[in-house]
Amino acid sequence: MTADPSDVLLDVDKLTVSFGDKPVLDDVSFSLRRDEVLGIVGETGAGKSILARALINLLPEEGRIASGDVRLNGRSILTMTPREQQQLRGGEISVIGTNAKSLLDPVETVGSQVARVLRAHRGGSRRDAWKAAVDLFAKVGIVDPERRAHAYPHELSGGMAQRVVIAMAMIAGPKVILADDATLGLDATIQVQVLDLLVQRCRELGLGAVIITHDLGIVAHYCDRVAIMREGRIVELKPTGRFLEQPEEAYSSVLLDAARVRPTPMGGQAPGDEQSPAPAVPAKPLLEVQGLEKYFAMGGNSKAVRAVDGVSFTVGRGETLALVGESGSGKTTAGQCLVRLLNPDGGRILFDGADVTTLPERDFRPYRKRIQMVFQEPYVALNPRWPVEDLIAEPLELDPRMSRTDRARRVRELLDMVQLPAKLAGAYPHQLTAGEQKRIGIARALATNPDFVVFDEPTTALDIRVRAQIIDLVRELQQEMGLSALFITHDLNSVRSLAHYVAVMRYGKIVESGETETIFARPAQDYTKTLLAAELPIEQSEAQRNRALARRAG
Amino acid sequence: MNSPNLLAFVMRRPAALAGIVLLALQIAAIIFAPLLATHSPVEADPINSLQPPSLAHWFGTDVSGMDIYSRILFATRVNLLISISAVAIAFAIGVPIGLLIGYYRGTVSSLVMRVFDFIQSFPVFVLGMALVSVMGQEIWNVAIVLAVLFIPMFARLIRAEVLSLRERPFISAARCSGATDRSIMFRHILPNALTPAIVQISISIGMAILLTAGLSFIGAGVRMPTPEWGLMVSIGAQQMILGVWWVSLFPGLAIVISVLCFALLGDAAKDLSDPTTRGRQ
Repeated sequence: MTADPSDVLLDVDKLTVSFGDKPVLDDVSFSLRRDEVLGIVGETGAGKSILARALINLLPEEGRIASGDVRLNGRSILTMTPREQQQLRGGEISVIGTNAKSLLDPVETVGSQVARVLRAHRGGSRRDAWKAAVDLFAKVGIVDPERRAHAYPHELSGGMAQRVVIAMAMIAGPKVILADDATLGLDATIQVQVLDLLVQRCRELGLGAVIITHDLGIVAHYCDRVAIMREGRIVELKPTGRFLEQPEEAYSSVLLDAARVRPTPMGGQAPGDEQSPAPAVPAKPLLEVQGLEKYFAMGGNSKAVRAVDGVSFTVGRGETLALVGESGSGKTTAGQCLVRLLNPDGGRILFDGADVTTLPERDFRPYRKRIQMVFQEPYVALNPRWPVEDLIAEPLELDPRMSRTDRARRVRELLDMVQLPAKLAGAYPHQLTAGEQKRIGIARALATNPDFVVFDEPTTALDIRVRAQIIDLVRELQQEMGLSALFITHDLNSVRSLAHYVAVMRYGKIVESGETETIFARPAQDYTKTLLAAELPIEQSEAQRNRALARRAG
Repeated sequence: MNSPNLLAFVMRRPAALAGIVLLALQIAAIIFAPLLATHSPVEADPINSLQPPSLAHWFGTDVSGMDIYSRILFATRVNLLISISAVAIAFAIGVPIGLLIGYYRGTVSSLVMRVFDFIQSFPVFVLGMALVSVMGQEIWNVAIVLAVLFIPMFARLIRAEVLSLRERPFISAARCSGATDRSIMFRHILPNALTPAIVQISISIGMAILLTAGLSFIGAGVRMPTPEWGLMVSIGAQQMILGVWWVSLFPGLAIVISVLCFALLGDAAKDLSDPTTRGRQ
C-alpha cells in the first residue's frame, strides 16, 4: 500500500477486552485510513459490537480493556479524561446503531435532538444548530427536511429514522463513523438507499467508516477492505476484491460459500422425486386462493387499511411458492389467513378441493394437521416455559389416538429429522441458539406430517452459516416429504434457493408472478426491478473495482 | 432453580435473610404460643390492670389486666390466619377471573372491570365497616372483607399480563398447532402470567395485616377479648395520654415487624423472579 502513515485515522493495536476472566476480544489489530470503508464481518458472538464499543471506550459494565490500545490521530483514547472522551464520542467518532427508532428520544423532535448534538460538541446558538441540522437532513436524503425536523421519532418510518440517526452521527463533523448493523431490519430497497447515502457522504468528506455487518453483500458492495472476525479475533483482513476472489482462511471460504445463492430450486431434478418438473398448471392444485381480502380498521378514523387486497394464487402438490415484498406489503397477513390466525374478509381459500375460508375453528381443526406454519422469530414463537419435547409434541395432540410412547418416539424422530441431538429434548428455548430454535420451530410444523407448510421469513436474522444450514434442511425435507410450501420472505437470495414460483406483493396486491428463474432473469414490472436491484450480490461492482484500482495506484 | 441456588440467592441478600428470620419467629410464635405464653391471653385480672412491664408481666398489662406479652403471642395466630386466608381466597378467585377477562374481551369483561373500579374506588375502611357491620364482627368475616378488597388487585395483575401474552407469537404458534382455548389459557398463558401475582402475595399479606389492625382499631374488626394486634393498639390508645405507653407500643411493634417481614420477602420474591437481577444460569 502506498498510503501515507499520516493518513491513518484510527489505529487499533493488539486490543484485548475481557468480561471477567473471559476474553471477548483477543489481540485485535487494524487501522483505518482517511477515505476508507472497512467492513467487519462475523457471526453472532464474534465480538463485533464489543469492538465497536471498545473503540469509543464505552464498554458494558462488566467489560474491561485488558491490554492493547486504540489511537485516534495518534492519540490513545484510553488515557483521555472523561471530558475529552465525551468530546470524542460523537465529535470525533460517531456510532450508528441498529434500530434507529429506539435510539431516538421519543419525547423530543428529531431536529432538536440532532441540533443538541452539534451544540454539545461545537457550541453555537440554538438557531444556527437547528439550521445546520435541517441542512444536513436534506443532505442525507430526507425529503421536506424543515417539516421532518419538527417530527417526533414515532412519526417517521424506519428508513427515515435511520437517516436521522446518520445525520446525528455526522453533524458534529466526526472523523470516523462506526455503523454497527445500521441497516439491520430495514427493507432491502431502503437498506441500499441508506448505505449508499452513508458511504457517499463519508467519501465526500473523506471520513473513515467502519461497517459492522453479517451481510457479505454489503461488504462486497461498499467496503474497501474487509476484516473477518471469529471468536474475538480477526482471522483475515484484506482488500475486499482479493478477499472475494481468494479467501485464505478456511472459515472465510465457508462464510462466502454459505452466503452465495445455491441456484436451482429443486425443480424436479431431485433424485427419486416422482413429481414431474413440468411447470404447467397442475390438474388440481393443493391450495387455491381466490381474491383473498383482509382489512384492518385504522385507529382513530374509520378508514380501513386493505392489508390484503384481492390476492389470488395456487400452490400445487410438491411445489413451493415464494411471496416476496417489503414490510407492509401484506405478505404475512396473507399467510396468517391461510392458517386461520386471521379470518379473511373476502375471497376464497380452497384446500384440497374443499372451501375452508369460513369454517368455524372446530371444523377447521382437522385441517390444522395438514396445514402448518413455521413462525418468523424462532425465540418468541416458543413458549419459554416449555421444554423442547413438549413443544414438539404439542401438535401431536391433534391426533388423540396417539399414545404417550408413540408421541415420545415421534419427538425423537423429529429431532433427528431436523438434525438436532436427542439430548436437547429436555432443554428450554432460552438455552438454545437461534439456529436450534428455528429447527425446533420447523420440527413442530412437521410433526403431524402436513401437506402444506407456510414458512414466514425462514431465513431472516440468522447468521450466515446457520441461514445456509436452514435452507439446506428445508430443501432436503421438502424433497423427502413432497411438501407443498408457501415462503413469505424479503430475502431474495433464499427465494432463488428454495422456490419454484414467485409472487411479488406490494400494497396488498400481487404485482407480478411467475417461475422463479423467469422473474429473476426478466422482471416485467418496475417494482420488481427495484426490488431485485436492491439485492446486493456477493461480488464487487464495477465502480468498487475501479476505486480499488485507483487506491492501489495511490 | 434448585435449592443450593436458592440458598446462595438468600445468602447474598441480607434483607431477604432478615425477612426469613422474622417469618421463622412468627411461625414459632404461632406453633409454640401456649408454651411461650406466661399467662392466659383472654383472662381478665382487674387487680393487675395497667401494670408497667415487669418480671411477672414482660410487656405489662392492659386496662383489664390481661398480659400483653401473651396476648401478642396468641394474636400472631389470629392476625396471620386472617391475612393469609384473605390473600389465599383473593388469589384463588382473582387469578381465574383475571385470566378469563384478559383472554375473552367483551361486554362481560368490561362489566367486571367496572365492578373492580367500584370496589377499588371505595375508601377501604368505609367499605370494611359497612361489610363487617352487615356480616358481623367475626374473624372469618374480616378475612372475607379483605379478600373482596384484594380480588381486583390480583385479577388486574393477571389480566394485564394476559393482555400482553395473548398477542405473543408463541400463542399464535400454539393455535396453529391445534391448541384449544382452554389449553392456551391454562397451559400457555397462565404459567407465564403468574409471576407478578406470586410476588404480590407476600406484599398483600403485609397489607392485610395492616388493614386487619386498622379495622380493629376503628372498631370494625374482631371484638374483645380476641387477641388481635390492632385491637390491642386501639385499647391502649385511650391510656396513651396518661403516660401508659406499653399497652399500645408492643402490639404496634408486632404489626411493624410482621408487615416489614412480608415486605422484605416480597422484595426478595421480586428479585428472584427477575432474571436480570438473579443472573442467568
